[in-house]
Amino acid sequence: MDFLKSISIAASGLRAQAGRMRILSENLANADSTAQGPGTDPYRRKIPTFRSEVDRALDAHVVAMGRVRTDASDFRLKHEPGHPSADANGNVRYPNVNPMIEMTDMREAQRSYEANINVIGATRRMIQRTLEILKI
Amino acid sequence: MAISNIPLFSMLRTRMHWHQERQRVLAENVANADTPRFQPRDLVAPNFDPRRPAASELTLTRTSSAHLAGAAGGTRFQLDRGNGGFEARPSGNAVSLEEEMMKVANNQMDFQAATSLYTRGLGMLKTAIGRR
Repeated sequence: MDFLKSISIAASGLRAQAGRMRILSENLANADSTAQGPGTDPYRRKIPTFRSEVDRALDAHVVAMGRVRTDASDFRLKHEPGHPSADANGNVRYPNVNPMIEMTDMREAQRSYEANINVIGATRRMIQRTLEILKI
Repeated sequence: MAISNIPLFSMLRTRMHWHQERQRVLAENVANADTPRFQPRDLVAPNFDPRRPAASELTLTRTSSAHLAGAAGGTRFQLDRGNGGFEARPSGNAVSLEEEMMKVANNQMDFQAATSLYTRGLGMLKTAIGRR
């Protein structure tokens, strides 16, 4: 049945957006994860990617999470001489995570998620209407 | 005589098929709302003008068992690629969620209208054969 295809496509969107949320929350949670020692890198921000792929069974373009990339931008430097992982100058490298950007991204993910839910709801009502033809 | 041979019902059936297909295309658009370089698509509304007969279901015939089968149940409605909506984001994605939501709601309401008409049509048939 074709309506179930629509629901599966929207579900692929839900899955992808939920995966994105997972990566974003990982970034947010690790916003202050410094390196273990002076020489090592702190947590590096991860970027979720999406790609459109053709699902043979559904005969439709579903969405899937692509490879998770890392953000190559510079780490934040903070002057904290007493910190255990501070370098010779007393600077500590913090992750290149900007909570503001992550929050904005999260909003967008939420919006897309709700849009997919909306499609599922509309499709469900359409199925219901079809079944109501039987009830006369 | 099958019910679907009655013009009213066959037209409504085509219409409902179209809404079903369109829902699938719109779901694709919404699911890919964040995929880079994705262009939204839509379907061209079916045409019931008797002077311009709609394109019949022309399919390729498999004359040999070695031929590949076409996509099962491929759409028989025309895709409307349009001009990609109002805006394209820097990632090359041109899906506008608001627009798609409007289309989904529209599609659902029109589908509801078609099913209601179908129900009424069946009711009329019932009246004609003398059952209430």
